[in-house]
Amino acid sequence: MKILLVEDNERVSQFVTKGLQEAGHTTDHTANGRDGMFLAASEPYDVIIMDRMLPGEIDGLAIIEVLRKAGKRTPILILSALSEVDDRIRGLRSGGDDYLTKPFAFGELLARIDALHRRAQSVNTEIPLTVGDLHMDPLTRKVTRGTRPITLQPREFKLLEYLMRHAGQVVTRTMLLENVWDYHFDPQTNVVDVHISKLRQKIDAEFERPLLRTVRNAGYTVTADD
Amino acid sequence: MIRSSAVSLALGYVALGITALVLFAAPLWYAWRVTIQEGRQEILQADAQRLTDVYRREGVGGLKSYIDTRVGMQIAGDRILLLADSSLHPLAGNLAMWPASVPLNPGNYVLPVVIGDQPPETALVHVAVVGTNILLVGRFNTIFASLQTHFWYGLAAAIAVLSIAGLLVGVITRRALMSRVNSIRQTVSAIIHGDLQHRLPTQLQDDELNILSRTINGMLEQIELLVHGVRNVSNSIAHDLRTPLAELRSRLEELALIRPPPEQTFAEIDGAVADVDQVIRIFDALLRLAEIDAGMRRSGFVALDISDLAANAVEFYAPAAELKNIHLGFRSDGPLSVSGDPVLLAQALSNLIDNSLKYAPVNGMIQVAVLKQGDGSVEVSVTDNGPGIAESEKSKVVERFYRGDASRGTPGVGLGLSLVQAVAKLHGSTLRLSDQNPGLRVALTLPLETTGMAEAAAAAPAAGAARIDVELTPAAQPR
Repeated sequence: MKILLVEDNERVSQFVTKGLQEAGHTTDHTANGRDGMFLAASEPYDVIIMDRMLPGEIDGLAIIEVLRKAGKRTPILILSALSEVDDRIRGLRSGGDDYLTKPFAFGELLARIDALHRRAQSVNTEIPLTVGDLHMDPLTRKVTRGTRPITLQPREFKLLEYLMRHAGQVVTRTMLLENVWDYHFDPQTNVVDVHISKLRQKIDAEFERPLLRTVRNAGYTVTADD
Repeated sequence: MIRSSAVSLALGYVALGITALVLFAAPLWYAWRVTIQEGRQEILQADAQRLTDVYRREGVGGLKSYIDTRVGMQIAGDRILLLADSSLHPLAGNLAMWPASVPLNPGNYVLPVVIGDQPPETALVHVAVVGTNILLVGRFNTIFASLQTHFWYGLAAAIAVLSIAGLLVGVITRRALMSRVNSIRQTVSAIIHGDLQHRLPTQLQDDELNILSRTINGMLEQIELLVHGVRNVSNSIAHDLRTPLAELRSRLEELALIRPPPEQTFAEIDGAVADVDQVIRIFDALLRLAEIDAGMRRSGFVALDISDLAANAVEFYAPAAELKNIHLGFRSDGPLSVSGDPVLLAQALSNLIDNSLKYAPVNGMIQVAVLKQGDGSVEVSVTDNGPGIAESEKSKVVERFYRGDASRGTPGVGLGLSLVQAVAKLHGSTLRLSDQNPGLRVALTLPLETTGMAEAAAAAPAAGAARIDVELTPAAQPR
């Protein structure tokens, strides 16, 4: 994946660039808004990571607005030290696709970039999803593992659907909270883990190969690979 | 002194009073001058006419004896009557000679007349010619002069009393005002120098200064509360952020000193990251609280179905409750539209349920209810059968970073209930904590949206009929 990072803090840039390269991505980095805008407009990137507050006349949100007006549809993740709910809404309204507050865990950033990239590629929500021998039909809402039908509560269905749409990727607890429950706050306790273990009971308990796996210090992933 | 508002006000009133007095006296004076003087002149003229008639009928002799009779009868000394011949030799009357000041032409005059060696006195005089003789009829203004003097004295006295009284009132009012203003000034300067506990002196009556003082006292109350809050928060931040930071620091320092084998080092680093996450969590909670307290989130208010929001929160926590074998029940009066911030209300409810989950015993129960009240409001309540909160601790648990005795050893940063309290306050409600013996019931009230109420009414014709009970967790589920 080709990623543009527009971030003025040197430590954060180094940390992110290094992490992204280790995860197998190509990264361009610039510390100022003017170059960022130029690169974003001229080069084909898969994902852009944009800091909100940049030195110089142009700030991150302005760049995003300009890019969107120019018809650039590259997925953009906004990085910001502003954590208030209104700031988040403002960021998404300007044309950003996701919003991550500093300080953040690198795993969270990586998972969100993968999710953004995936979302940009496949938008068809009606195609049945398959991971190994687990099947889900979003239209009929039927789930089967092998030949055995699995009954899920509506929220469990939504949780599994989100995980399967991001099959092979790491999905963090925060991402699940935001996308499955629409909760934009930290519920402090491990409630998401409890939901996951309930879901795991239903799809994995009586099968040899577990599909729903925990990724240490990051989140969960649904995958058939070893 | 003139610039003092009390004195200039008093002076203004005095000037107004004097103007009113003059406006009242001037027409009176004029009326007296014109009407009464003219009337008296007419009387004199008629008198002269009567004497002329006597002369016509009875000649000079008759007139002389008539005048003599009149003079003899005269009681009041203010009348003048004189008949003189052409050489001004007096023939009859009460004057010994023709007064020098009186002209000889017939007509009316007001002039000083000298009788004998007495000082001249103003008199109203009518001169008429009777045959070859000349007749003088007059009347001294003596009584009227005293009346006039009284009038002027009265006016002057009134003005004097008014001025003195006005000035006195002005000065006294100024003194009283100044003493109160001074006491306010002293209090305020004490407050400026940092002692926020002072309050302006107030009295029972509702005068302007008292009203102002009371308003200012209210403001001071709020400021003191806020300052106290800020001081509290900074103390709490100092304490609650210092603790994990201190742990983090010693963990890292130890790592640098001991340089343990990689396996152990990585475990320590993981622990350090968890410490940092805890610090960030406290920080986020504090920022969120500050954001709510500043009232900025009012812009995020939308019409929302509070029943749906609560049902989702209950559903979210149901598996966690199940894990502890706690019965998590939900009751609602169907869709209820309120105006609020969906993110904050969800967080508040989730904090309450989370709290109850922490304290409810295994096999315990938690009941979440969203019920319509008689007065057009909705009460959202979370009830558990945990240890509850002691009466003495009820007011403290909503304070930032306060953690009750029962919570020692349980995870949490002690900001949960204060966030719920702040959210309730933002929505114009307060948190009510009550005992369930055993257990705790936390409730907050939200006003129903009127437009949403129509919808809710349409969806549920009878309020009671729409009540739904959802049992998400069977009461006894052996695990």
